[in-house]
Amino acid sequence: MMEDETFTDISGKTISLDCQSHSSFCREFTVSSPKVSIGKVMVYTCSVWLLAYAAFFITQNTAVLSSAILITLVGMMFHIHFVKVDHESLLVIGSLGIQVSSSYASGREITTFIEMSKIKDIVINEAIYMHQIIYYLCVLLKDPSEPNAVSSVVPLFQSSKPRLNCLVKVYKSCQEILSKSQ
Amino acid sequence: MQTIMLICCYHFLSIVLYCLWAFVPDEWLHSIGLTYWPQKYWALAAPIYLLVALMIFVLLLFGVNFNNTAPLDSVDNITDVYAQGQRTECSRKGGIPRLRDVSISEVNQMFYLSPKM
Repeated sequence: MMEDETFTDISGKTISLDCQSHSSFCREFTVSSPKVSIGKVMVYTCSVWLLAYAAFFITQNTAVLSSAILITLVGMMFHIHFVKVDHESLLVIGSLGIQVSSSYASGREITTFIEMSKIKDIVINEAIYMHQIIYYLCVLLKDPSEPNAVSSVVPLFQSSKPRLNCLVKVYKSCQEILSKSQ
Repeated sequence: MQTIMLICCYHFLSIVLYCLWAFVPDEWLHSIGLTYWPQKYWALAAPIYLLVALMIFVLLLFGVNFNNTAPLDSVDNITDVYAQGQRTECSRKGGIPRLRDVSISEVNQMFYLSPKM
């Protein structure tokens, strides 16, 4: 079952949610952020180089130009490798665990697996984030020795930060699997 | 009402005295006999100090508040010492349940899983 509706994140940018049901106890949710737009890249690059040219015009030092080029290149590589997240996915396998992975624009993927015995619940929580209150989906982890207390919290979809309609869809789907396997 | 009027009077009086000290030249003050006052530099510096301190205080207040807000991955957003230590239900049959903190799993089930009204 593939679904692709237009959801937005907390600042209004369009994101897309893709739910795949591999079997009755295995579902995968992928939230994709908008790609790096070529217009923005060009605007940033041109403004940095114009500033560098203005600095060169004043100081007549060619090191300013070459350092501006270097900074632009290094900055772009750093951005697409460490900052810009392309899509984040949540894979729920009943009675085995969940896998959270986020892949960056350069292709790098970071994956975390949490086994089912450590998971207390997946809930939608509201919290203060900077100057606003947002809804976010999070995994409540429990210590096997103390099954009634929440030991730690793992927030999901941190870079794309979808809004409530998207989160409710993922939550309902997850709860169908979790209620069967716990 | 009377305290407000008193505060206004004192405030006005202190402003008048401050202006007097700032504007009257040093020789006149010395000739009267009032010699031990701060340098006239402070007539300008003190208000500016206060205004800059006020601006920095506002920024600092925002910063302190942001710093003290629990991050999204902290357990403080889910529960706290008081909610974990509350006594469990021992209500009588047919009685009103005791006031307590509802766990977040229950709240979520009520909000998002129950059929729409």
